[in-house]
Amino acid sequence: MSAAEGTEKGGAAPRMIVDARGSWCPGPLMELVRVIKEEPVGTEFELLSSDEGSRKDVPSWLQKAGHALLEVQNESGYDRYVIRKTH
Amino acid sequence: MTPEEPAPSEQMAVVLTENADDKLLPFATLVSGAVAMGLQVDVFVSYWGLVAFRKDGATTPASVSPGHGAEGARLEAALRKPKAPSWRTILEMAKSLGELHIWACSQSMDVLGLKKEDLDPMVDGVTGVGTFVDRTRTANVSYFI
Repeated sequence: MSAAEGTEKGGAAPRMIVDARGSWCPGPLMELVRVIKEEPVGTEFELLSSDEGSRKDVPSWLQKAGHALLEVQNESGYDRYVIRKTH
Repeated sequence: MTPEEPAPSEQMAVVLTENADDKLLPFATLVSGAVAMGLQVDVFVSYWGLVAFRKDGATTPASVSPGHGAEGARLEAALRKPKAPSWRTILEMAKSLGELHIWACSQSMDVLGLKKEDLDPMVDGVTGVGTFVDRTRTANVSYFI
């Protein structure tokens, strides 16, 4: 698994970076599910994924699980999903 | 965890009979996607599927099923590269993430002369088909691979 994690200050809340770039479908989704399980309510995540499947899988999982998708940014060669654990 | 536990509310049942990597990768991807989406997944592994789950399977080079000619050879070469996706790694991650149970078919075990200790520790137990069918009789979705 190539995913690496780190934290950085992004405004008020510390954000956890979940770098799943280069990970194959459904690796990025699985990384997201794992970190959301482990971290406390209110944590914000930046999920980085180069997997095209994530574009549908991540929003549909978030909707089903009831967590917030704050932003999606298309970067060069990957996408950045900003997510908050809401419950 | 025993094979007789009551059925969960959302469940996927999968029967795996193949051991080529072009079957095992779609299998592992499907299963891990289902676990990530919150389903319990029960897998019944029989015949060639058990060959993939043998302990020595981890050191066997990737292979594709026959009949795909030059495309098959190209895929096989791609799957033998160090950065290629590994069905075993995908399944291990799915197991750590949610409810994934892997059952070895007792008939296949007898025919192939295998014992539980010959199999990867990911395999939860050996059961007959009746137990597996009973365990998955109310599954929402089922696949045969």
